[in-house]
Amino acid sequence: MAVAEAREPPAPRRRRGRLDLTTPTLLGLPLAWLVVFFLAPIAIVAAYSLDVYSLDPGPHSLTLQAWHDFLHSSIYLRLFWKSVKMSLAVSAIVVVLAYPLAYYLALSGTKRKYVLLLLLIAPFLTSYLLRVLAWKVILGDHGVINSFLFWTGVRSPDHPVSQLLYSRFAVMLVLGYIWLPFVALPIFVSLESLDRRLLEAASDLGASRLQAFRKITLPLSLPGVVAAFLFVFIPTLGEFITPSLVGGTSGYMYGNQIVDLFGTGFPDWQTGSVLALFLLGVVAALTVVFARFLQPGQVSAD
Amino acid sequence: MDVALSKNGARLLRLFFFLVVVFLYAPIVILLIFSFNDSAVPTFPLSGFTLHWYHQFLVNADLRASLQTSAIIAALSSLGAVVLGILASIALTRRRFHGKAAVSALLLSPLVIPYVVFGISLLLLFHQLGVPRSLLTVVIGHIVITLPYTILVIVPRLSQIDVSLEEAAFDLGASRLRTFRSITLPLILPAVVSAFLIAFTTSFDEYAVASFVVGTRVTFPIYLYSALRFPDQLPQVIAVAVVVLLVSLTVVICAEIGRRVAERRFVG
Repeated sequence: MAVAEAREPPAPRRRRGRLDLTTPTLLGLPLAWLVVFFLAPIAIVAAYSLDVYSLDPGPHSLTLQAWHDFLHSSIYLRLFWKSVKMSLAVSAIVVVLAYPLAYYLALSGTKRKYVLLLLLIAPFLTSYLLRVLAWKVILGDHGVINSFLFWTGVRSPDHPVSQLLYSRFAVMLVLGYIWLPFVALPIFVSLESLDRRLLEAASDLGASRLQAFRKITLPLSLPGVVAAFLFVFIPTLGEFITPSLVGGTSGYMYGNQIVDLFGTGFPDWQTGSVLALFLLGVVAALTVVFARFLQPGQVSAD
Repeated sequence: MDVALSKNGARLLRLFFFLVVVFLYAPIVILLIFSFNDSAVPTFPLSGFTLHWYHQFLVNADLRASLQTSAIIAALSSLGAVVLGILASIALTRRRFHGKAAVSALLLSPLVIPYVVFGISLLLLFHQLGVPRSLLTVVIGHIVITLPYTILVIVPRLSQIDVSLEEAAFDLGASRLRTFRSITLPLILPAVVSAFLIAFTTSFDEYAVASFVVGTRVTFPIYLYSALRFPDQLPQVIAVAVVVLLVSLTVVICAEIGRRVAERRFVG
Protein backbone atom coordinates (compact mmCIF):
# COMPACT_ATOMS: atom_id res chain seq x y z
CA MET A 1 0.00 0.00 0.00
CA ALA A 2 3.01 2.26 0.31
CA VAL A 3 2.36 4.85 -2.31
CA ALA A 4 5.38 7.01 -1.68
CA GLU A 5 8.05 4.40 -1.27
CA ALA A 6 9.20 4.18 -4.86
CA ARG A 7 8.54 7.80 -5.59
CA GLU A 8 10.72 9.52 -3.04
CA PRO A 9 12.37 12.53 -4.61
CA PRO A 10 16.09 12.12 -5.10
CA ALA A 11 17.76 13.17 -1.86
CA PRO A 12 16.13 16.53 -1.17
CA ARG A 13 18.89 19.01 -0.40
CA ARG A 14 16.65 21.29 1.54
CA ARG A 15 17.37 23.52 4.41
CA ARG A 16 15.64 22.55 7.60
CA GLY A 17 14.01 25.02 9.90
CA ARG A 18 11.81 28.00 9.13
CA LEU A 19 9.05 25.75 7.86
CA ASP A 20 5.54 27.05 7.67
CA LEU A 21 4.25 23.85 6.09
CA THR A 22 5.79 21.43 8.55
CA THR A 23 5.15 17.72 8.37
CA PRO A 24 2.80 17.79 11.37
CA THR A 25 0.87 20.65 9.76
CA LEU A 26 0.56 18.70 6.55
CA LEU A 27 -0.37 15.36 8.06
CA GLY A 28 -2.31 16.57 11.09
CA LEU A 29 -5.62 17.23 9.42
CA PRO A 30 -5.81 14.19 7.12
CA LEU A 31 -4.71 11.80 9.84
CA ALA A 32 -7.00 13.33 12.46
CA TRP A 33 -9.90 13.05 10.04
CA LEU A 34 -9.25 9.35 9.49
CA VAL A 35 -8.69 8.63 13.17
CA VAL A 36 -11.94 10.30 14.20
CA PHE A 37 -14.18 9.33 11.30
CA PHE A 38 -12.64 6.04 10.18
CA LEU A 39 -10.73 4.26 12.94
CA ALA A 40 -12.82 5.39 15.91
CA PRO A 41 -16.09 4.26 14.27
CA ILE A 42 -14.59 0.81 13.70
CA ALA A 43 -13.55 0.69 17.34
CA ILE A 44 -17.13 1.54 18.30
CA VAL A 45 -18.37 -1.36 16.16
CA ALA A 46 -15.96 -3.59 18.05
CA ALA A 47 -17.37 -2.25 21.33
CA TYR A 48 -20.90 -3.08 20.16
CA SER A 49 -19.83 -6.57 19.13
CA LEU A 50 -18.53 -7.14 22.67
CA ASP A 51 -21.67 -5.65 24.23
CA VAL A 52 -19.68 -2.83 25.85
CA TYR A 53 -22.05 -0.49 24.03
CA SER A 54 -25.57 -1.61 23.35
CA LEU A 55 -28.95 -0.45 22.12
CA ASP A 56 -30.51 -1.80 25.31
CA PRO A 57 -30.36 0.51 28.29
CA GLY A 58 -28.89 -0.71 31.53
CA PRO A 59 -25.49 -1.88 32.67
CA HIS A 60 -23.35 -3.91 30.32
CA SER A 61 -20.25 -5.94 30.69
CA LEU A 62 -17.85 -7.19 28.12
CA THR A 63 -18.91 -10.51 26.65
CA LEU A 64 -17.77 -12.69 23.78
CA GLN A 65 -21.20 -14.29 23.53
CA ALA A 66 -22.09 -12.77 20.15
CA TRP A 67 -18.77 -13.85 18.66
CA HIS A 68 -19.23 -17.34 20.07
CA ASP A 69 -22.75 -17.56 18.65
CA PHE A 70 -21.57 -16.30 15.29
CA LEU A 71 -18.74 -18.80 15.01
CA HIS A 72 -21.10 -21.62 15.90
CA SER A 73 -24.00 -20.47 13.79
CA SER A 74 -24.68 -22.37 10.64
CA ILE A 75 -26.83 -19.60 9.12
CA TYR A 76 -24.35 -16.74 9.10
CA LEU A 77 -21.30 -18.78 8.19
CA ARG A 78 -23.16 -20.58 5.43
CA LEU A 79 -24.36 -17.25 4.08
CA PHE A 80 -20.82 -15.93 4.22
CA TRP A 81 -19.55 -18.98 2.36
CA LYS A 82 -22.27 -18.56 -0.27
CA SER A 83 -21.20 -14.92 -0.77
CA VAL A 84 -17.57 -15.99 -1.00
CA LYS A 85 -18.44 -18.49 -3.72
CA MET A 86 -20.52 -15.95 -5.64
CA SER A 87 -17.79 -13.30 -5.43
CA LEU A 88 -15.08 -15.79 -6.39
CA ALA A 89 -17.07 -16.88 -9.42
CA VAL A 90 -17.80 -13.31 -10.51
CA SER A 91 -14.17 -12.26 -10.03
CA ALA A 92 -12.81 -15.27 -11.92
CA ILE A 93 -15.19 -14.87 -14.85
CA VAL A 94 -14.59 -11.16 -15.09
CA VAL A 95 -10.80 -11.51 -14.97
CA VAL A 96 -10.87 -14.21 -17.65
CA LEU A 97 -13.01 -11.98 -19.87
CA ALA A 98 -10.94 -8.87 -19.18
CA TYR A 99 -7.56 -10.45 -19.89
CA PRO A 100 -8.03 -10.72 -23.68
CA LEU A 101 -9.37 -7.15 -23.71
CA ALA A 102 -6.29 -5.85 -21.95
CA TYR A 103 -4.08 -8.04 -24.11
CA TYR A 104 -5.64 -6.63 -27.25
CA LEU A 105 -5.17 -3.04 -26.10
CA ALA A 106 -1.62 -3.48 -24.83
CA LEU A 107 -0.07 -5.83 -27.37
CA SER A 108 -1.95 -5.72 -30.67
CA GLY A 109 -0.20 -2.53 -31.70
CA THR A 110 -3.47 -0.70 -32.21
CA LYS A 111 -2.86 3.01 -32.56
CA ARG A 112 -5.93 4.13 -30.67
CA LYS A 113 -5.35 2.11 -27.53
CA TYR A 114 -6.03 4.95 -25.11
CA VAL A 115 -9.23 5.91 -26.90
CA LEU A 116 -10.34 2.29 -26.78
CA LEU A 117 -9.33 2.01 -23.14
CA LEU A 118 -11.46 5.04 -22.33
CA LEU A 119 -14.34 3.54 -24.33
CA LEU A 120 -14.03 0.40 -22.23
CA ILE A 121 -13.76 2.09 -18.85
CA ALA A 122 -16.23 4.95 -19.31
CA PRO A 123 -19.29 2.88 -18.31
CA PHE A 124 -17.59 2.05 -15.01
CA LEU A 125 -17.33 5.74 -14.22
CA THR A 126 -21.05 6.35 -14.63
CA SER A 127 -23.74 5.79 -12.05
CA TYR A 128 -23.67 2.40 -10.39
CA LEU A 129 -27.34 2.41 -9.41
CA LEU A 130 -28.45 3.36 -12.89
CA ARG A 131 -26.54 0.49 -14.45
CA VAL A 132 -28.25 -1.88 -12.01
CA LEU A 133 -31.55 -0.22 -12.93
CA ALA A 134 -30.88 -0.90 -16.60
CA TRP A 135 -30.62 -4.62 -15.90
CA LYS A 136 -33.75 -4.57 -13.76
CA VAL A 137 -35.57 -3.12 -16.76
CA ILE A 138 -34.01 -5.69 -19.08
CA LEU A 139 -34.43 -8.85 -16.99
CA GLY A 140 -37.89 -8.44 -15.44
CA ASP A 141 -40.82 -10.80 -16.08
CA HIS A 142 -42.28 -8.08 -18.27
CA GLY A 143 -38.92 -6.56 -19.03
CA VAL A 144 -37.11 -6.01 -22.27
CA ILE A 145 -35.96 -9.58 -22.87
CA ASN A 146 -39.24 -11.24 -21.94
CA SER A 147 -41.43 -8.76 -23.80
CA PHE A 148 -39.18 -9.22 -26.80
CA LEU A 149 -39.69 -12.98 -26.56
CA PHE A 150 -43.48 -12.52 -26.29
CA TRP A 151 -43.48 -10.11 -29.21
CA THR A 152 -41.56 -12.44 -31.45
CA GLY A 153 -43.69 -15.36 -30.32
CA VAL A 154 -40.85 -17.40 -28.85
CA ARG A 155 -42.58 -17.41 -25.47
CA SER A 156 -46.19 -16.91 -24.49
CA PRO A 157 -46.83 -14.01 -22.08
CA ASP A 158 -48.14 -16.54 -19.57
CA HIS A 159 -44.75 -18.17 -19.36
CA PRO A 160 -42.05 -15.55 -19.06
CA VAL A 161 -38.47 -16.62 -18.42
CA SER A 162 -38.85 -15.75 -14.77
CA GLN A 163 -35.47 -16.96 -13.56
CA LEU A 164 -33.83 -13.91 -15.12
CA LEU A 165 -34.55 -11.39 -12.41
CA TYR A 166 -34.44 -11.94 -8.62
CA SER A 167 -31.98 -14.79 -8.77
CA ARG A 168 -28.38 -15.58 -8.00
CA PHE A 169 -27.79 -15.49 -11.75
CA ALA A 170 -29.04 -11.90 -11.93
CA VAL A 171 -26.77 -10.81 -9.09
CA MET A 172 -23.72 -12.38 -10.70
CA LEU A 173 -24.55 -11.06 -14.16
CA VAL A 174 -25.01 -7.51 -12.90
CA LEU A 175 -21.91 -7.59 -10.69
CA GLY A 176 -19.88 -8.93 -13.61
CA TYR A 177 -21.30 -6.25 -15.87
CA ILE A 178 -20.41 -3.55 -13.36
CA TRP A 179 -16.83 -4.67 -12.71
CA LEU A 180 -15.74 -5.91 -16.14
CA PRO A 181 -14.54 -2.53 -17.49
CA PHE A 182 -12.56 -1.77 -14.38
CA VAL A 183 -10.61 -5.03 -14.06
CA ALA A 184 -9.18 -4.63 -17.53
CA LEU A 185 -7.23 -1.65 -16.18
CA PRO A 186 -4.67 -3.28 -13.84
CA ILE A 187 -4.13 -6.11 -16.34
CA PHE A 188 -3.60 -3.57 -19.10
CA VAL A 189 -1.05 -1.69 -16.99
CA SER A 190 0.97 -4.84 -16.28
CA LEU A 191 0.89 -5.94 -19.94
CA GLU A 192 1.74 -2.46 -21.10
CA SER A 193 4.90 -2.41 -18.99
CA LEU A 194 6.00 -5.76 -20.39
CA ASP A 195 9.32 -5.52 -22.22
CA ARG A 196 8.50 -6.67 -25.75
CA ARG A 197 12.14 -7.55 -26.36
CA LEU A 198 11.60 -10.56 -24.11
CA LEU A 199 8.99 -11.83 -26.55
CA GLU A 200 11.27 -11.15 -29.49
CA ALA A 201 14.08 -13.04 -27.79
CA ALA A 202 11.75 -15.97 -27.14
CA SER A 203 10.65 -15.95 -30.74
CA ASP A 204 14.26 -15.79 -31.98
CA LEU A 205 15.08 -18.78 -29.81
CA GLY A 206 12.32 -20.74 -31.51
CA ALA A 207 9.46 -20.42 -29.07
CA SER A 208 5.98 -20.43 -30.50
CA ARG A 209 3.57 -17.61 -29.60
CA LEU A 210 1.76 -19.90 -27.23
CA GLN A 211 5.00 -20.90 -25.50
CA ALA A 212 6.09 -17.29 -25.26
CA PHE A 213 2.72 -16.41 -23.79
CA ARG A 214 2.85 -19.21 -21.23
CA LYS A 215 6.47 -18.70 -20.22
CA ILE A 216 6.75 -14.92 -20.41
CA THR A 217 3.61 -12.86 -20.88
CA LEU A 218 1.35 -14.69 -18.45
CA PRO A 219 3.83 -14.90 -15.54
CA LEU A 220 4.86 -11.28 -15.96
CA SER A 221 1.28 -10.06 -16.06
CA LEU A 222 0.31 -12.11 -13.03
CA PRO A 223 0.60 -9.22 -10.55
CA GLY A 224 -1.93 -7.29 -12.63
CA VAL A 225 -4.20 -10.32 -12.76
CA VAL A 226 -4.06 -10.81 -8.99
CA ALA A 227 -4.68 -7.10 -8.41
CA ALA A 228 -7.62 -7.18 -10.83
CA PHE A 229 -9.04 -10.23 -9.09
CA LEU A 230 -8.87 -8.59 -5.66
CA PHE A 231 -10.27 -5.31 -6.94
CA VAL A 232 -13.45 -7.21 -7.84
CA PHE A 233 -13.48 -9.78 -5.07
CA ILE A 234 -13.11 -7.37 -2.15
CA PRO A 235 -16.00 -5.04 -2.99
CA THR A 236 -18.35 -7.77 -4.24
CA LEU A 237 -17.87 -9.81 -1.07
CA GLY A 238 -19.55 -7.08 0.99
CA GLU A 239 -22.02 -6.15 -1.74
CA PHE A 240 -25.62 -5.44 -0.72
CA ILE A 241 -27.04 -2.99 -3.24
CA THR A 242 -27.12 -5.22 -6.32
CA PRO A 243 -28.46 -8.27 -4.45
CA SER A 244 -31.17 -6.18 -2.83
CA LEU A 245 -32.27 -4.81 -6.22
CA VAL A 246 -32.01 -7.88 -8.45
CA GLY A 247 -31.28 -10.78 -6.09
CA GLY A 248 -34.57 -11.69 -4.49
CA THR A 249 -34.22 -14.36 -1.80
CA SER A 250 -31.86 -16.67 -3.69
CA GLY A 251 -29.45 -13.83 -4.43
CA TYR A 252 -29.38 -12.63 -0.81
CA MET A 253 -25.79 -12.03 0.28
CA TYR A 254 -23.83 -11.56 3.49
CA GLY A 255 -23.88 -7.78 3.05
CA ASN A 256 -27.69 -7.82 2.99
CA GLN A 257 -27.67 -9.69 6.28
CA ILE A 258 -25.53 -6.98 7.87
CA VAL A 259 -27.84 -4.26 6.58
CA ASP A 260 -30.90 -6.11 7.84
CA LEU A 261 -29.40 -6.52 11.32
CA PHE A 262 -29.07 -2.73 11.46
CA GLY A 263 -32.41 -2.20 9.76
CA THR A 264 -35.63 -0.95 11.25
CA GLY A 265 -37.34 -4.33 11.58
CA PHE A 266 -35.64 -6.28 14.37
CA PRO A 267 -32.33 -4.53 14.86
CA ASP A 268 -29.59 -6.57 16.49
CA TRP A 269 -26.61 -4.28 16.50
CA GLN A 270 -24.47 -6.65 18.50
CA THR A 271 -24.74 -9.53 16.02
CA GLY A 272 -24.57 -7.06 13.13
CA SER A 273 -21.32 -5.65 14.50
CA VAL A 274 -19.85 -9.14 14.74
CA LEU A 275 -20.79 -9.85 11.12
CA ALA A 276 -19.37 -6.54 9.97
CA LEU A 277 -16.08 -6.98 11.82
CA PHE A 278 -15.71 -10.52 10.54
CA LEU A 279 -16.09 -9.27 6.96
CA LEU A 280 -13.66 -6.46 7.64
CA GLY A 281 -11.17 -8.92 9.12
CA VAL A 282 -11.32 -11.18 6.07
CA VAL A 283 -10.88 -8.25 3.69
CA ALA A 284 -8.03 -6.80 5.76
CA ALA A 285 -6.26 -10.16 5.81
CA LEU A 286 -6.59 -10.49 2.04
CA THR A 287 -5.26 -6.96 1.60
CA VAL A 288 -2.26 -7.59 3.81
CA VAL A 289 -1.43 -10.95 2.23
CA PHE A 290 -1.65 -9.58 -1.29
CA ALA A 291 -0.42 -6.07 -0.50
CA ARG A 292 2.51 -6.34 -2.87
CA PHE A 293 0.10 -6.90 -5.76
CA LEU A 294 -2.04 -3.98 -4.72
CA GLN A 295 0.49 -1.21 -5.30
CA PRO A 296 -1.92 1.59 -6.06
CA GLY A 297 0.72 3.08 -8.31
CA GLN A 298 -0.02 0.27 -10.70
CA VAL A 299 -3.58 1.39 -10.98
CA SER A 300 -3.12 5.08 -11.13
CA ALA A 301 -0.20 4.97 -13.53
CA ASP A 302 -1.02 5.42 -17.20
CA MET B 1 6.07 -11.51 -37.72
CA ASP B 2 4.50 -9.99 -34.66
CA VAL B 3 5.63 -11.82 -31.56
CA ALA B 4 2.59 -11.17 -29.40
CA LEU B 5 -0.27 -11.87 -31.78
CA SER B 6 -0.87 -13.47 -35.14
CA LYS B 7 -2.96 -11.56 -37.69
CA ASN B 8 -5.94 -13.79 -37.11
CA GLY B 9 -5.42 -13.64 -33.37
CA ALA B 10 -5.51 -9.86 -33.48
CA ARG B 11 -8.67 -9.95 -35.61
CA LEU B 12 -10.32 -12.35 -33.19
CA LEU B 13 -9.40 -10.23 -30.19
CA ARG B 14 -10.66 -7.09 -31.91
CA LEU B 15 -13.99 -8.81 -32.56
CA PHE B 16 -14.14 -9.91 -28.93
CA PHE B 17 -13.27 -6.40 -27.75
CA PHE B 18 -16.08 -4.84 -29.74
CA LEU B 19 -18.56 -7.51 -28.65
CA VAL B 20 -17.74 -6.65 -25.04
CA VAL B 21 -18.15 -2.95 -25.77
CA VAL B 22 -21.58 -3.70 -27.26
CA PHE B 23 -22.45 -5.70 -24.13
CA LEU B 24 -21.32 -2.79 -21.94
CA TYR B 25 -23.22 -0.10 -23.81
CA ALA B 26 -26.34 -2.08 -24.80
CA PRO B 27 -28.12 -1.60 -21.45
CA ILE B 28 -27.44 2.12 -21.63
CA VAL B 29 -28.78 2.28 -25.19
CA ILE B 30 -31.84 0.27 -24.18
CA LEU B 31 -32.55 2.78 -21.42
CA LEU B 32 -32.13 5.57 -23.96
CA ILE B 33 -34.67 3.95 -26.31
CA PHE B 34 -37.25 3.33 -23.61
CA SER B 35 -36.89 6.81 -22.18
CA PHE B 36 -38.64 8.03 -25.38
CA ASN B 37 -41.17 5.21 -25.44
CA ASP B 38 -44.81 6.20 -25.03
CA SER B 39 -45.74 3.52 -22.51
CA ALA B 40 -45.77 3.31 -18.75
CA VAL B 41 -43.89 -0.01 -18.80
CA PRO B 42 -40.64 -0.63 -20.63
CA THR B 43 -41.71 -3.48 -22.92
CA PHE B 44 -41.55 -4.42 -26.56
CA PRO B 45 -43.01 -3.58 -28.98
CA LEU B 46 -42.24 0.12 -28.74
CA SER B 47 -45.47 2.05 -28.76
CA GLY B 48 -44.54 5.55 -29.88
CA PHE B 49 -42.28 8.52 -29.31
CA THR B 50 -42.80 10.82 -26.37
CA LEU B 51 -40.95 13.43 -24.31
CA HIS B 52 -43.50 13.03 -21.57
CA TRP B 53 -41.13 11.26 -19.14
CA TYR B 54 -38.49 13.94 -19.51
CA HIS B 55 -41.11 16.58 -18.87
CA GLN B 56 -42.40 14.66 -15.88
CA PHE B 57 -39.03 14.48 -14.18
CA LEU B 58 -38.34 18.14 -14.89
CA VAL B 59 -41.42 19.08 -12.88
CA ASN B 60 -40.78 16.51 -10.14
CA ALA B 61 -39.84 18.64 -7.15
CA ASP B 62 -38.60 15.76 -4.97
CA LEU B 63 -36.26 14.59 -7.63
CA ARG B 64 -34.89 18.07 -8.28
CA ALA B 65 -34.37 18.55 -4.56
CA SER B 66 -32.45 15.28 -4.33
CA LEU B 67 -30.23 16.27 -7.25
CA GLN B 68 -29.55 19.56 -5.52
CA THR B 69 -28.76 17.85 -2.20
CA SER B 70 -26.36 15.48 -3.93
CA ALA B 71 -24.67 18.36 -5.73
CA ILE B 72 -24.14 20.22 -2.44
CA ILE B 73 -22.81 17.11 -0.70
CA ALA B 74 -20.55 16.25 -3.62
CA ALA B 75 -19.17 19.80 -3.82
CA LEU B 76 -18.45 20.03 -0.09
CA SER B 77 -17.00 16.56 0.27
CA SER B 78 -14.80 16.73 -2.82
CA LEU B 79 -13.52 20.13 -1.72
CA GLY B 80 -12.67 18.67 1.69
CA ALA B 81 -11.12 15.54 0.21
CA VAL B 82 -8.98 17.53 -2.22
CA VAL B 83 -7.67 19.85 0.50
CA LEU B 84 -6.81 16.92 2.78
CA GLY B 85 -5.46 15.02 -0.22
CA ILE B 86 -3.09 17.82 -1.21
CA LEU B 87 -1.76 18.13 2.35
CA ALA B 88 -1.21 14.40 2.66
CA SER B 89 0.32 14.09 -0.81
CA ILE B 90 2.88 16.81 -0.13
CA ALA B 91 3.88 15.10 3.09
CA LEU B 92 4.19 11.75 1.32
CA THR B 93 6.28 13.04 -1.56
CA ARG B 94 8.28 15.91 -0.07
CA ARG B 95 8.92 15.01 3.53
CA ARG B 96 10.89 12.36 5.29
CA PHE B 97 9.38 11.03 8.48
CA HIS B 98 9.18 7.86 10.52
CA GLY B 99 6.39 5.45 9.83
CA LYS B 100 5.72 6.73 6.33
CA ALA B 101 4.66 3.28 5.14
CA ALA B 102 2.13 3.00 7.96
CA VAL B 103 0.82 6.52 7.35
CA SER B 104 0.39 5.91 3.65
CA ALA B 105 -1.32 2.58 4.35
CA LEU B 106 -3.74 4.30 6.71
CA LEU B 107 -4.44 7.10 4.22
CA LEU B 108 -5.27 4.56 1.50
CA SER B 109 -7.09 2.03 3.67
CA PRO B 110 -10.59 3.45 3.03
CA LEU B 111 -10.11 2.06 -0.50
CA VAL B 112 -10.56 -1.50 0.67
CA ILE B 113 -13.08 -1.24 3.50
CA PRO B 114 -16.44 -2.71 2.48
CA TYR B 115 -18.80 0.27 2.30
CA VAL B 116 -21.45 -1.57 4.25
CA VAL B 117 -19.00 -1.92 7.14
CA PHE B 118 -17.95 1.72 6.96
CA GLY B 119 -21.58 2.81 6.71
CA ILE B 120 -22.64 1.06 9.90
CA SER B 121 -19.44 2.20 11.66
CA LEU B 122 -20.29 5.83 10.96
CA LEU B 123 -23.90 5.20 11.95
CA LEU B 124 -22.75 3.85 15.32
CA LEU B 125 -20.29 6.73 15.79
CA PHE B 126 -22.95 9.37 15.24
CA HIS B 127 -25.42 7.40 17.32
CA GLN B 128 -22.90 7.17 20.15
CA LEU B 129 -22.05 10.86 19.97
CA GLY B 130 -25.69 11.84 19.69
CA VAL B 131 -25.06 13.67 16.40
CA PRO B 132 -28.26 13.83 14.33
CA ARG B 133 -27.93 12.49 10.81
CA SER B 134 -27.89 15.21 8.20
CA LEU B 135 -26.31 16.47 5.04
CA LEU B 136 -23.13 17.03 7.02
CA THR B 137 -22.82 13.44 8.24
CA VAL B 138 -22.91 12.28 4.63
CA VAL B 139 -20.22 14.82 3.73
CA ILE B 140 -18.01 13.51 6.55
CA GLY B 141 -18.34 9.94 5.27
CA HIS B 142 -17.74 10.89 1.66
CA ILE B 143 -14.56 12.77 2.54
CA VAL B 144 -13.21 9.58 4.11
CA ILE B 145 -13.93 7.39 1.10
CA THR B 146 -12.79 9.87 -1.57
CA LEU B 147 -9.60 10.99 0.21
CA PRO B 148 -7.56 7.99 -1.08
CA TYR B 149 -8.61 8.70 -4.66
CA THR B 150 -7.36 12.27 -4.44
CA ILE B 151 -4.04 11.06 -3.03
CA LEU B 152 -3.68 8.47 -5.79
CA VAL B 153 -4.16 11.17 -8.41
CA ILE B 154 -2.07 13.93 -6.81
CA VAL B 155 0.96 11.94 -5.58
CA PRO B 156 2.13 10.78 -9.05
CA ARG B 157 1.80 14.35 -10.33
CA LEU B 158 3.83 15.74 -7.43
CA SER B 159 6.55 13.17 -8.01
CA GLN B 160 6.84 14.23 -11.64
CA ILE B 161 7.55 17.83 -10.77
CA ASP B 162 11.19 18.82 -10.59
CA VAL B 163 11.87 19.50 -6.90
CA SER B 164 14.54 22.02 -7.85
CA LEU B 165 11.81 24.46 -8.93
CA GLU B 166 10.46 24.49 -5.41
CA GLU B 167 13.96 24.64 -3.97
CA ALA B 168 14.80 27.60 -6.16
CA ALA B 169 11.77 29.54 -4.94
CA PHE B 170 12.60 28.60 -1.37
CA ASP B 171 16.24 29.63 -1.78
CA LEU B 172 15.12 32.94 -3.22
CA GLY B 173 13.36 33.65 0.05
CA ALA B 174 9.81 32.49 -0.61
CA SER B 175 8.12 30.88 2.35
CA ARG B 176 6.95 27.28 2.10
CA LEU B 177 3.39 28.51 1.76
CA ARG B 178 4.36 31.03 -0.89
CA THR B 179 6.34 28.37 -2.74
CA PHE B 180 3.32 26.14 -2.68
CA ARG B 181 0.98 28.83 -3.94
CA SER B 182 3.20 30.16 -6.70
CA ILE B 183 5.06 27.06 -7.87
CA THR B 184 3.62 23.76 -6.70
CA LEU B 185 -0.10 24.41 -6.93
CA PRO B 186 -0.09 25.73 -10.52
CA LEU B 187 2.01 22.74 -11.57
CA ILE B 188 -0.26 20.14 -9.96
CA LEU B 189 -3.47 21.93 -10.95
CA PRO B 190 -4.48 19.42 -13.65
CA ALA B 191 -4.20 16.61 -11.12
CA VAL B 192 -6.08 18.64 -8.51
CA VAL B 193 -8.92 19.29 -10.95
CA SER B 194 -9.07 15.66 -11.93
CA ALA B 195 -8.99 14.60 -8.25
CA PHE B 196 -11.87 16.98 -7.59
CA LEU B 197 -13.89 15.53 -10.48
CA ILE B 198 -13.27 11.95 -9.36
CA ALA B 199 -14.25 12.78 -5.78
CA PHE B 200 -17.29 14.73 -6.97
CA THR B 201 -18.63 11.97 -9.19
CA THR B 202 -17.91 9.31 -6.56
CA SER B 203 -19.79 11.24 -3.91
CA PHE B 204 -22.64 12.15 -6.27
CA ASP B 205 -23.18 8.47 -7.05
CA GLU B 206 -22.55 7.04 -3.59
CA TYR B 207 -25.42 5.06 -2.11
CA ALA B 208 -24.04 2.52 0.36
CA VAL B 209 -22.45 4.79 2.97
CA ALA B 210 -25.01 7.56 2.48
CA SER B 211 -27.89 5.16 3.10
CA PHE B 212 -26.75 4.72 6.70
CA VAL B 213 -26.01 8.32 7.64
CA VAL B 214 -28.39 10.36 5.49
CA GLY B 215 -30.81 12.69 7.22
CA THR B 216 -34.22 13.82 6.09
CA ARG B 217 -32.90 15.47 2.91
CA VAL B 218 -32.32 12.49 0.66
CA THR B 219 -29.56 12.34 -1.91
CA PHE B 220 -30.13 11.49 -5.55
CA PRO B 221 -28.99 7.83 -5.32
CA ILE B 222 -31.23 7.34 -2.30
CA TYR B 223 -34.16 8.91 -4.12
CA LEU B 224 -33.46 6.64 -7.11
CA TYR B 225 -33.26 3.54 -4.95
CA SER B 226 -36.60 4.22 -3.33
CA ALA B 227 -38.19 5.21 -6.65
CA LEU B 228 -37.11 1.85 -8.09
CA ARG B 229 -39.64 0.18 -5.82
CA PHE B 230 -42.60 2.01 -7.39
CA PRO B 231 -43.27 0.75 -10.92
CA ASP B 232 -45.25 3.86 -11.90
CA GLN B 233 -42.14 5.95 -11.39
CA LEU B 234 -40.02 3.73 -13.60
CA PRO B 235 -40.39 5.62 -16.92
CA GLN B 236 -39.32 8.93 -15.48
CA VAL B 237 -36.51 7.29 -13.53
CA ILE B 238 -35.33 5.88 -16.84
CA ALA B 239 -35.41 9.37 -18.33
CA VAL B 240 -33.35 10.72 -15.44
CA ALA B 241 -31.02 7.76 -15.78
CA VAL B 242 -30.37 8.61 -19.41
CA VAL B 243 -29.63 12.26 -18.64
CA VAL B 244 -27.33 11.40 -15.73
CA LEU B 245 -25.52 8.66 -17.65
CA LEU B 246 -24.95 10.89 -20.67
CA VAL B 247 -23.81 13.83 -18.55
CA SER B 248 -21.40 11.65 -16.56
CA LEU B 249 -20.05 9.99 -19.70
CA THR B 250 -19.43 13.44 -21.17
CA VAL B 251 -17.76 14.72 -18.00
CA VAL B 252 -15.55 11.63 -17.79
CA ILE B 253 -14.43 11.87 -21.39
CA CYS B 254 -13.85 15.63 -21.25
CA ALA B 255 -11.92 15.32 -17.98
CA GLU B 256 -9.70 12.64 -19.46
CA ILE B 257 -9.05 14.61 -22.64
CA GLY B 258 -8.39 17.75 -20.61
CA ARG B 259 -5.96 15.94 -18.34
CA ARG B 260 -4.02 14.50 -21.28
CA VAL B 261 -3.81 17.86 -23.01
CA ALA B 262 -2.67 19.55 -19.81
CA GLU B 263 -0.08 16.88 -19.04
CA ARG B 264 1.33 17.03 -22.54
CA ARG B 265 1.66 20.79 -22.23
CA PHE B 266 3.36 20.67 -18.84
CA VAL B 267 5.52 17.61 -19.16
CA GLY B 268 6.13 17.72 -22.90
